[in-house]
Amino acid sequence: MSALPPVTRAGNIYDLGYRRYEGPRLGRAHAIRSLLVHSFRTTYGIGRSGRAKAAPFIFGAMAILPAVIIVGGLTIAARFGFDRQLDDTDLIGFDKYFSAITAIILLFCAAQAPELFGRDQRHGVLALYFARALRRSDYALGRLLGFMLAVLVLILIPVFILFVGRVLLSTDIAGSFRANAGNIPPVLAQAAVIAALYGGLSMTISAYTPRRAYATAGIIALFVLPGIVAGIVISIGSSAVGTALVLISPNTILDGTNALLFGGSLPEEYFFISVPTWAFLVAAVVEVAVVVGLILRRFARITI
Amino acid sequence: MIATSGLTKRYAGGITALDGLTVEIEPGIIGLVGSNGAGKSTLLKILLGLLEPTAGSATIFDLPVATRGIEIRELVGYMPEHDCLPPDMTATDIVSHLALISGLPRAAARERTAEVLRHVGLYEERYRAIGGYSTGMKQRVKLAQALVHDPRLLLLDEPTNGLDPAGRDEMLELILRTGKEFGIAVIVASHLLGEIERVCDHLVAIENGKLLRSAPLGSFTERTGTLAVEVEEGREALVERLTARGLRVAVDGPAILVDLVDEAPFDIVRDTVVELGLALVRMEQRRHRLEDLFRDQPAAAAVAAAATARPTDDGPPASAR
Repeated sequence: MSALPPVTRAGNIYDLGYRRYEGPRLGRAHAIRSLLVHSFRTTYGIGRSGRAKAAPFIFGAMAILPAVIIVGGLTIAARFGFDRQLDDTDLIGFDKYFSAITAIILLFCAAQAPELFGRDQRHGVLALYFARALRRSDYALGRLLGFMLAVLVLILIPVFILFVGRVLLSTDIAGSFRANAGNIPPVLAQAAVIAALYGGLSMTISAYTPRRAYATAGIIALFVLPGIVAGIVISIGSSAVGTALVLISPNTILDGTNALLFGGSLPEEYFFISVPTWAFLVAAVVEVAVVVGLILRRFARITI
Repeated sequence: MIATSGLTKRYAGGITALDGLTVEIEPGIIGLVGSNGAGKSTLLKILLGLLEPTAGSATIFDLPVATRGIEIRELVGYMPEHDCLPPDMTATDIVSHLALISGLPRAAARERTAEVLRHVGLYEERYRAIGGYSTGMKQRVKLAQALVHDPRLLLLDEPTNGLDPAGRDEMLELILRTGKEFGIAVIVASHLLGEIERVCDHLVAIENGKLLRSAPLGSFTERTGTLAVEVEEGREALVERLTARGLRVAVDGPAILVDLVDEAPFDIVRDTVVELGLALVRMEQRRHRLEDLFRDQPAAAAVAAAATARPTDDGPPASAR
């Protein structure tokens, strides 16, 4: 408490008086935007304690590390005059980088999604949000989009480093940019699919599981188990059930959209799949829609 | 300002929190009193649109709660009963964040946050994480976030909960100043009549989800003044003699409770004790308590208890304690 004696304190307040707020009230869109920004900052621990920053920044560093190593390798190679050969060598291409850091994105989601919906429920903060001039769905969407944006940034920073490194280290910068520019649309599209799918699924678990530890375990299980089950089903030889599982499991969906967007083919282990690759994109869109619906439903019904 | 009509809320599991509550409330500092479970929190939540009533309707500033929730919540500040602050945020951060959510632009949010935190008496502490705050400081932050968007009506749910006597006094002082100097209407829900009668100018008493009474504070205090008298022995004789002299007397454990309409009972009790030659142990003016309020209205309380017909045996509230 303040060292000031109460009398002086009261006098101060009296002198200042109470001022009404006559300015504008910016409404629900402003509220959603504010929640989005707040969710993004909370996810990365910005404006929070050092402990809250540890997890996101460790995972961020791990996601960036492969890109830094590749760019570093190219730099060293360039100094020794090997740039001509290395320019054309795909150490890890853009299309492969995502699957290289999938596990890190998963851990990031499992660690950070419970910081938002879980934290608000555990500490009763929902009452403060729902007592303000916005709809419950505004709250849910603001939080969800903020987290998806945080995941998107985690994915795009290493790819950006990779891109800039390649272009700048090339002997022919303009030519290299043109050669690599074709990768930009599929990279952005695939990154958006990953962010929506991973972000959406992990936020759904955290919306329904306020307890932090359970939410984290649940998110990891959701991402890992369907893939394992799919593997078992395939080894038994049921390709119809296997196909269904592959179109549900987030990791396999991403393999499919990766193949679609970068114009490649499915990895060999998907030999039993007979659906076209665009079916994976449809599966991703449907899954994100379902997940958003589940989150809205949760907060429409929750009693506080 | 507020009008409810036949407002009813039944929770799943058959508990009736509000039972056909019809009341009109005008601006001022209004005390909403009732024992725990009387329906105070439920009423506040329905007014905010946080809960849907099972039946009946309510309006605030002539806006129906059922359809104009967002407009209402722009004009209302809410201080919940329970903990609602994230422990790892600072007071400044959570209050200015909630100001943004209420639609204030960033600069205005920051400015008003500083103002309301100063108003509730948080100074240097406002830059520290709330997890390290005392209960009193947390209650202040809860009040600040309810004020930050400059509401015209404050709904405070048990604002003195968990505070020590000094903290209670400070919180009541804050509420009084907010209501009187700021011109903001305040509804204070509490189960401690003795506390809120210090700040309110109107009282709404509810019990078992029904309206018991809604009246200016003055009419309550007249009726609820009580003189507690304890004697070593000869209590029956004293009760008999006092009743004969026209006082309203009740027995409460070892004490005799005498209704205080004016100053006269003090002298009458003293004289009677002397006449009977009794040993007087104690004679004190009781703080007005909720129970006194209900004891005055045995009929209403009994009706309320009977009408809800809950399968519990807690009976009329007056006899429960």
